[in-house]
Amino acid sequence: MKTCIACGMPMEKPEQHASGDVKKDWCIHCAREDGSMRSYDECLVGMTGFIVKSQGLDEGAAREMAKTMMAQLPAWKDHKPAQ
Amino acid sequence: MVAVRERQKAKTRARLVEAALTLFAERGILATRTADVATAARVSHGAVFVHFPTRDDLVAAVIEELGTRVTRRLHELTERKAGVRQILTAHLAGLQEFETLYTRLITEGPVLPPFARSTLVGIQSAIAFHLADAVTRETRSGSLKKMPLPMLFNTWLGLVHHYLVNRDLFAPGEFVLARRGKDLVKHFMKLVKA
Repeated sequence: MKTCIACGMPMEKPEQHASGDVKKDWCIHCAREDGSMRSYDECLVGMTGFIVKSQGLDEGAAREMAKTMMAQLPAWKDHKPAQ
Repeated sequence: MVAVRERQKAKTRARLVEAALTLFAERGILATRTADVATAARVSHGAVFVHFPTRDDLVAAVIEELGTRVTRRLHELTERKAGVRQILTAHLAGLQEFETLYTRLITEGPVLPPFARSTLVGIQSAIAFHLADAVTRETRSGSLKKMPLPMLFNTWLGLVHHYLVNRDLFAPGEFVLARRGKDLVKHFMKLVKA
């Protein structure tokens, strides 16, 4: 099953890919208006917000969880977060 | 020659991860020694550290593999536009296949390194991803009580985890989700339906 390289969520149908383009490895939630992939910081904000909204975690704790989760994703494996 | 060596290396790594998945489930994550994993995978103890320089690296790889398998299974079992009841049923079906190791993870989670907690949060995010849509739809249509999504979700998780952590009391010698899963979904839905 294809998963978004930026957030790990499944992409089973073309419309779940950015711009509906199956050649793009990121999903609609991780895409900017022009279809390009959002930046690390933009994705981190998005993932943190999702964890807080769906699971009710403290924002700081959610952010740390999101950072650890993102470190394992293909888009961010080599990313070095700013200190 | 290099390609053959790389393939062999990948095979050994996979054997180590499979062996650790089994042993972590049977004995617990903290209680399993790297020497036991080596024996079960039929490699030398030294070979473990070629693939995983520290014990934490092995634990991280195994928990990551568990997270991948559970979330993949959850996504496979959950249809698009599924209702809340179907998603909760799929949640239990997905966990059932990994019940023992998942239970170890939730029991030992607080004392494991941060990546173990984040894998758990990742598994919960996978189910929350499907639940969010369904809860919004069913709340709007009036079939579900109005409540914040985290409250609904964490109440469900609390219920499921209580049965898992105390599986020896609810289903001694059996898999508790197989024995009690239907009842959990049925009674939870009674609580949240409008």
